[in-house]
Amino acid sequence: MSTVAADLETILSSGIRLAAPLAFAACGEYVAERAGTLNVSVEAMMLGAAFGSIAVAGLTGSATAGLLAGVLLGALVGSVHGALSHRWHVNTFVVGLVLNALVLGLTSYLVTVGDLGRHQVAQVSVPGLRDLPVLGAPLFVERWPVYLLLALVPLTWWLVERSRWGLELRAAGENPEAADMTGIRVNLRRRQALLWCGALAGLGGAYLAVGEVGSFNQNMTAGRGYLVIAAVIFGGWRLGRTLVGCAVFGLADALRLALPALGHTVNSQLLISAPYLLALLAMLLFTTRQRRPGALAQPFRRAS
Amino acid sequence: MAPEPALRLRGITKRYGAVVACDGVDLTLERGEIHGLLGENGAGKSTLMRILLGLETQDSGAIDRDGRAVTITGPRQAAALGISMVHQHFSLVDPLAVWENVALGQSGPVRRAAVRAGVRAAAERYGLAIDPDARVGSLSAGERQRVELLKCLRRDPAVLIMDEPTSVLTRAESAELFAVLRRVVAAEHRAVVLISHKLAEITTATDRVTVIRAGRVVLRRATAATTEAELAREMVGREVTLGAAVGVLPHAPAPAAPASSQAALRLRGLTTRPGLDDLCLTVHAGEIVGLYGAEGNGQKSLGDVLSGLTVPDAGTVEVAGAPVDLRRPGALSAAGLGIVPEDRHHAGVVLDLSVAENLVMTRLGDVSGRVFVDRRRLRRRARALADEYGITAPSLDSPLRTLSGGNQQRVVLARELSGRPRVLVAAQPSRGLDVGAVEDLYARLRRCASDGIAVLVISTELEEILALTTRVATIFRGRIVGELPTAQADAERLGLLTGGAA
Repeated sequence: MSTVAADLETILSSGIRLAAPLAFAACGEYVAERAGTLNVSVEAMMLGAAFGSIAVAGLTGSATAGLLAGVLLGALVGSVHGALSHRWHVNTFVVGLVLNALVLGLTSYLVTVGDLGRHQVAQVSVPGLRDLPVLGAPLFVERWPVYLLLALVPLTWWLVERSRWGLELRAAGENPEAADMTGIRVNLRRRQALLWCGALAGLGGAYLAVGEVGSFNQNMTAGRGYLVIAAVIFGGWRLGRTLVGCAVFGLADALRLALPALGHTVNSQLLISAPYLLALLAMLLFTTRQRRPGALAQPFRRAS
Repeated sequence: MAPEPALRLRGITKRYGAVVACDGVDLTLERGEIHGLLGENGAGKSTLMRILLGLETQDSGAIDRDGRAVTITGPRQAAALGISMVHQHFSLVDPLAVWENVALGQSGPVRRAAVRAGVRAAAERYGLAIDPDARVGSLSAGERQRVELLKCLRRDPAVLIMDEPTSVLTRAESAELFAVLRRVVAAEHRAVVLISHKLAEITTATDRVTVIRAGRVVLRRATAATTEAELAREMVGREVTLGAAVGVLPHAPAPAAPASSQAALRLRGLTTRPGLDDLCLTVHAGEIVGLYGAEGNGQKSLGDVLSGLTVPDAGTVEVAGAPVDLRRPGALSAAGLGIVPEDRHHAGVVLDLSVAENLVMTRLGDVSGRVFVDRRRLRRRARALADEYGITAPSLDSPLRTLSGGNQQRVVLARELSGRPRVLVAAQPSRGLDVGAVEDLYARLRRCASDGIAVLVISTELEEILALTTRVATIFRGRIVGELPTAQADAERLGLLTGGAA
């Protein structure tokens, strides 16, 4: 195999692995935003779940149980965020930022308490297809949770676009007053959307830990939650484009990791900021506000 | 035994602090009738209806539905009890399709095909033509109202509440709406509550009428046994001389000052996309020009341009012969143009600032030293304006939110006129005001004209145009399509001039 093809395969491979956690979380953030919450705590959801998944995997000896725990922990963060911002009407950004700081601090402390060890879910590799040139290894040799995306993406789309729940939460995100008049429980729908967001962001974070890396280290999500928010904005609040955004950011991250191996020497600290720079640029160039939910980030309380 | 009334309210009382919004209100609603509920803004109509929908809870009193006492905890439960409301401020979600909005009002799984077919069938049955796949945001006000009504009717309500349904409709659309309501009542035996402060509407469309004033029922009668004059008197609590708006006088007297030849306001080729298409209009000092047309023909864009909210794509605005640089904030106001915007809550006032602050906010320089606002001068000025314009407020320091619509409108008018403008633009000035407040507003606008101010009234209300203006221009799809002296205008001619849309 030529070296170009090999390099490409390496970059694609790690690009998909780096994009997957973003994609899981983006499916959640997308739902939260359609319901009207610009959910900043997606970072906390991912990081908390990443820690929790490794910890639970250590306690139970099962990486899959860890993955599940990550989902639950993410949902827990989502329910806390929901209760604070859509029941007691604390400013959603303040809640999000505080949760992010809290989870970062808490996990940074807990990781020093004891050795969490290494836990990783099984790898699957699809016979036959894995031998395809270039695309074979990146697409068909993966830790199994990646393939959950195949079900979760269509499910997310169906829930939002086709189910009554989705119709009601879109109404809550576009025009909460009208939705309320119609008899929709706006804040309940928003809390539920945050729960979904937490579960999926939790899955993303857990996948990062027990799926890809196999261990937890301090601040291991390193702002990926913010990239997810950027992806939804880049995607113009459309699921397909949001996932394209995740892929682009994932590939940029992979490229950053691959550059030294390819013989380029760039300041590594500078490189770390590359995906975020790219996210800024992408939002600047491709964002349309056209499909922005009408009441995004606006709290709803019935006027008296 | 006579059938139980569809709805009976007994002694409904609701207090907000010291204010009694509803004071022992009794209201009986029979099946098969259109019941008019008439009252000024703040009389307690809205509170009563919010109680019926479960958005508020009454302090005392009971509600019977088909003879059974019920407690209503929210819109969802109201709907389950067969009480549904068509809102004054629409309860539609713009980015969603018509069928999605209709589906929102129902329950169970969303079956796209079934809902769309249902919309088509209902549209046919009631004569409310509408495309189920259209996005609600792209519809005209009249069409939106149809969607709203369809959404309600699909729930099969026994009691249908219509809150000021015609405030954004043209005459033809209003007539069509009332025909549909009559069908709903006669053929399907529903009960309709029609909330309005338009007397002509109440007398033509309802079977019985209840008038409330200051939270109490002051009149309850068969519509045929009453007159507009009596209704107006009961509603306001005194004799009213509003002229054409209550249908007592066909025309207002022409203003004293003759129109001078000097153009105080000249709009040349104003174009905004979307909205205005090469709009040209001239208003002379001392005249009141009406800009008449069905909602959604560019009036809002024009209002935005004249408020300085939108910079037009092409065209100029000249005040007293000098072109205004529309890109500079405050240029219009500095040039001598005052505006009473269409939506005063969004563009006219700051509801949470005090009455005094709202009164002086555009001319803070007049009440400030070099750096600080002089509170004493501010209050003195505000007091003078409040007295001059008859603004009734608990105190000048209370938030503007606590004032009635009529008084809020007076605050805007007082503030705009305090700058001694050459031109006053009033967009839908009487919308949401009660009869007494409208009477006062009209008198003030006429006085402006006789003081030599050029007045432009943008309105969708034919009565308003006929009662107030000396010349009328009609707008259709962002263009002026006709102009004539108001004395030669009537509903038919103006209807033709507005592209047949009126």
